[in-house]
Amino acid sequence: MPFLLYTGISAYVPLFLLIIAGIGLGFLLANLSVILGPSRPGIKKGLTYESGMDPVGTGHERFSVKFYLVAMLFILFDIEVVFMYPWAVQFRQLTQEFGMFPFWEMITFVLILFVGYIYMYKKGGLRWA
Amino acid sequence: MMDFFTPNVYSYLAVSALMFALGAVGVMTRRNGIVVFMCIELMLNAVNLALITFSRMHNDPAGSILVFFVMCVAAAEAVVGLSIVLAIFRNKLNIDINQVNIFKW
Amino acid sequence: MVEIILFWLFSILGIAGAVGLIFNRNPIYAALSLIINFFSIAGLYLSLRAEFLAVIQILVYAGAIMVLFLFVIMLLNLQTEEKAEKFDAKRGIAFLFGLAFAAEMIYALRSFASEGQTPLAAQFDYGQVEPIGRSLMTSFLFPFEMISVVLLAALIGAIVVARKHTYT
Repeated sequence: MPFLLYTGISAYVPLFLLIIAGIGLGFLLANLSVILGPSRPGIKKGLTYESGMDPVGTGHERFSVKFYLVAMLFILFDIEVVFMYPWAVQFRQLTQEFGMFPFWEMITFVLILFVGYIYMYKKGGLRWA
Repeated sequence: MMDFFTPNVYSYLAVSALMFALGAVGVMTRRNGIVVFMCIELMLNAVNLALITFSRMHNDPAGSILVFFVMCVAAAEAVVGLSIVLAIFRNKLNIDINQVNIFKW
Repeated sequence: MVEIILFWLFSILGIAGAVGLIFNRNPIYAALSLIINFFSIAGLYLSLRAEFLAVIQILVYAGAIMVLFLFVIMLLNLQTEEKAEKFDAKRGIAFLFGLAFAAEMIYALRSFASEGQTPLAAQFDYGQVEPIGRSLMTSFLFPFEMISVVLLAALIGAIVVARKHTYT
């Protein structure tokens, strides 16, 4: 009994059904209370809930640039790991053919990026304060 | 009748060309710097779609690998470009690209 | 049959996302339209049997790059672009150019539509992880190593440009 009964895109039909069910359930639950429940809007009810206080300022608060720096570092090292994934899957076959060469390839790749990591650390890119 | 709806290489390339044209129109008409960047990402994605279609057509790995590299370069480009947007915002307090005209003579 | 439905669903969704990107004046809505577009492009990759790249598309584009874009939009707290008061000639020319470009591409690629060119039914060996990893480590070794230099340059450049500096 093979794990995948179908090949090709038909193998993904359960996945698409799951996505459709997920989106549908989310819409349904979010709108069911609106449809079924009573609706008596008022000024006090329409206010933003801020622990019982009157709301202060706008809803759009400006973020700090520190969040951007962390997200940026995440992307760059995310790409690095994405490259490791096909390498790791194919590693055993490649070592049987080329010896340790693929290992040193990836070590070179990581070392070049590690230079950037050291620079960022010294520059204080990870310091939160 | 069914033949018209069956996707072939041309259908994918037409979708890719339409997305590229929409991205180009966005780059030329929008004034918000970040949205201009997003339109550039859209154009890169349209090209990626065409590359994978050709890779599938010729059963050749080069197109797929090139798409992989394009994605990585796009990530690097987004990181640096958004840093530049932040730097412009710090100097001018908005990112209307019509006001960033230091190249104009 | 499934492929036909998925192709039309994802291509229409993707083009709708692209149209939403260029016409939404609120940058956050534009970014969300672009995320729809990225997901439908991943679906199109899936219908082309490029499964690995579909996953990478969602991981890198929808998962990382768009998060960065949304962060910057919230960081800058931009207002919606106000509508142009009068009809701008430059915008009209831009739309005409885009229309001309799309028409030209669709006309120039028409030879792919002819009969006897049905390569999509052919087998595709490079959608899975193993052949891609193999090509990456053998024929495309030098570009692979150079990508790390690109990422290094992006890392250093972004840190230098994005942070506030005090000159000493």
